[in-house]
Amino acid sequence: MKKKVLSLLMAAIMVASLAGCGNDSNSGGGSNNGGGSNNGGGTNNESGSNNGGAENGGSDAAEIVKPEKITIMVDGTVFTQENGRDAFEAKLEELLGIEIEIIQPDHTGYYDVVGQTIAGGDWPDVVILSSNYLSSYGSEGVLWDMSAAWEASDLKARQEAYNGASVVESMYIDGALYGMPATHGNGCVTYVKQAWLDAAGITTLPTNFDEYYDMLLKVKEAKGVDYVLAAAGFLNAEAPYINYLSEFYQDAWPAFYQKADGTWVDGFEEQAMKDAMARLAQGVADGIIDPETNTYGTGDVRNKYYDDSLGVFTYWAGTWASNLKNNLNNNGIDSELVALPPLKEIVPPLASGPAYIDRVSPAWCITTQCANPEGVFKYFIEAMQDGGDVQFLWTYGVEGVHWSTAEETLYADTEKPKVYAAGEFHMLDNLESPGSQYTKAHIDPMLALTALAGDPRETTVAPEALAAQQLFNANSVGAFVVPSTAEMNQYNGDLMTEKQSLVARVALGQMTVEEAYKEYEDNGYAEMSKLIVDSLNAQ
Amino acid sequence: MGEKKIKKAKPSAKKTLARMYKYKGFYVMFLPVLVFAIIFFYAPMFGIRYAFTNYNGIKAPDIVWFENFKRMFSMKNFWGAFWNTIQISVIKLLLTTAFAVIVSILLNEIASLLFKKVVQTIIYLPHFMSWVVTASIFSLILSPSSSGLVNSFLVKFGIVDSGSMIYFLGSTKWWRPAYYVINLWKETGWQTVIFMATLAGINTDLYEAAAIDGAGRWGKMRYITFPQLANTILTVIILNLAKVMNLFESAFVLQNDATLSVSNVLETYIYYQSFNSGGIPNYGYTTAVGLFKSMVGMVLVLVCNQWSKKVRDGRGIV
Repeated sequence: MKKKVLSLLMAAIMVASLAGCGNDSNSGGGSNNGGGSNNGGGTNNESGSNNGGAENGGSDAAEIVKPEKITIMVDGTVFTQENGRDAFEAKLEELLGIEIEIIQPDHTGYYDVVGQTIAGGDWPDVVILSSNYLSSYGSEGVLWDMSAAWEASDLKARQEAYNGASVVESMYIDGALYGMPATHGNGCVTYVKQAWLDAAGITTLPTNFDEYYDMLLKVKEAKGVDYVLAAAGFLNAEAPYINYLSEFYQDAWPAFYQKADGTWVDGFEEQAMKDAMARLAQGVADGIIDPETNTYGTGDVRNKYYDDSLGVFTYWAGTWASNLKNNLNNNGIDSELVALPPLKEIVPPLASGPAYIDRVSPAWCITTQCANPEGVFKYFIEAMQDGGDVQFLWTYGVEGVHWSTAEETLYADTEKPKVYAAGEFHMLDNLESPGSQYTKAHIDPMLALTALAGDPRETTVAPEALAAQQLFNANSVGAFVVPSTAEMNQYNGDLMTEKQSLVARVALGQMTVEEAYKEYEDNGYAEMSKLIVDSLNAQ
Repeated sequence: MGEKKIKKAKPSAKKTLARMYKYKGFYVMFLPVLVFAIIFFYAPMFGIRYAFTNYNGIKAPDIVWFENFKRMFSMKNFWGAFWNTIQISVIKLLLTTAFAVIVSILLNEIASLLFKKVVQTIIYLPHFMSWVVTASIFSLILSPSSSGLVNSFLVKFGIVDSGSMIYFLGSTKWWRPAYYVINLWKETGWQTVIFMATLAGINTDLYEAAAIDGAGRWGKMRYITFPQLANTILTVIILNLAKVMNLFESAFVLQNDATLSVSNVLETYIYYQSFNSGGIPNYGYTTAVGLFKSMVGMVLVLVCNQWSKKVRDGRGIV
């Protein structure tokens, strides 16, 4: 009898556990994964516990229904068709247990298509948006407020444990969270060529602007060059506006920001901005800043840096440190670069000390037309940063397509073949651009907001890229999102265009700072600025 | 007399239908063109209504009637762009036409057919180059650095110091002259096509007669070539005058922040309104600006049509 009771009990337990397994496998659990040696059991367990839903046991989890299908609109930061998107999509569906429909317009025209789609009224469930659009679409009721879902989620705890939660917190707009970033926004650090420092006999790196400017003058003289540095524009139209010339802008902010007391101001009208414009003008007049900064694109400046016409370049941290080094090497130029920590005067809004600006990351948003936003948040948005298999997929792609652990030699026919032993994780050759390896999928491993179990980034990321990224991460402050108002949408196009024009004309010596601000007043731009500031403060 | 005849010959509706039936084949052939025109030229014109609304592409348009036009007329940037458009377009048109005439006459004087064809081909080629590529090339040529061709010459001949090279494309003083020169380089060759055709059609007897009368090369040019070309020159100017409001690509790729006060034209103004706002623009306002531009363009077309009728024996352009 005892045996019969025991066997009945065991059968009941097995049925119950099988039911639990069913839930697991649907939500990205272990049985489907088989992700190779790097995604071993531990990873699967994490994934399961994070996404399982039912096993969390809470009443909230029980109420959240797993969606059967999710339509997502993405830009080129997700693998394109040419780069193995079908394999990525299939693996994602396998891990999530959800049918995924990907709408991926051309990257350059992405926001045109997003605008047309929103205007058309047939919205996808999920859409990637940059900070500009996050604010506008959020305030117009297009985006679902995911703040409650995030606050109650395991994701928040995982991000807090990895210093990623502050990035999410900086994306709140008037108490609402309209999108979930997958990474830090990243920003720029200043790279100085060691060979130029050596030529000028400089052994100590500058820590303040006077020392920095003195360094620039010395390297200019030592190298006998026309100019020392350049940027793609004196003032960019999009946030963070000033990150290519942060040493000259320092604490100036050319747009709207919220002070510590909660009031909004236009930083363009503050003394710090006037001082910054004077510094730019001095830099151009002294032959430090290339005046063609006014017309250069980023590619032009990179090329000048690669051909050794320039010695100082403020550019993206992380992977770009490696790209700069490789391109200098390819040109036969000394490629040792020194990434400068921020000067003591670089204190952007919201920073309490010297800091570079971590731009607002693009965010994954759920539209208000989504029938089951809670389910999409839990089973798609949250799963993307599960610390396990799904995050691994979003970070490195699909095994055999984007990465491998097989024994093989890449680029065997070239001068620099890459030999990998069995079990050694490595990224594969780019399908769209043969000859270069993939470095990441959608999530840059150096910019992740949550820890990734078994992360092989130490083997995939170049040491100089990791060093530059770590320098940036340790010395940066998150940018912020400005709420959208009717006045902002109405006047900011004119206002920003005029600000860019005035900064460029002052920098090029075509007018003084005083003349610039007089024109700003006389032509009614101060009035426009006031209307926007008032609208922000009235919110 | 002729007009009366035309009036008398005006067919009735019944006759018109009969004629249409008779030539139904042609009408069937024309049908796809008509459908195309309706779908792509006329249907989008319903978008004009947005000019009278505030519309951000998300919520339903909010009717504001003439508020966008009032705002537009009160904006200094708008008027700056408007006058820039008129000035740049008209000067560009006159310069390009004048150069094309001169080049055509010079080419016409070349005796060697092979040399003439080679020169013609060479000066046509820039027309087929995209404006983006053209802008890149001239940015390099006009660069205010030791690698800039023009500034290198200026420094070499002692016209400017090496420390004060001219930033042609970044200076409000030099941007327009540079723009006109670039346009001349790119478009003169193409414009010569129509003048060369006219020159080829001039009766050679006239030149022979003039030579008998003692006319030299200059005399023939002055009393035969120029008068024969005059009608064509006027026609070309009138036809192009109607399009002066359509100026975007060439200005957009060459302009920059420092020169916007002299280079911003209406179409680039609309572009900056749309993409510099840092959010979703008011499409109602940009539609209003576009509508105003189209209205001015339409008035120019009608005026030019009248002028055309006067100089082309009653033949208009529309």
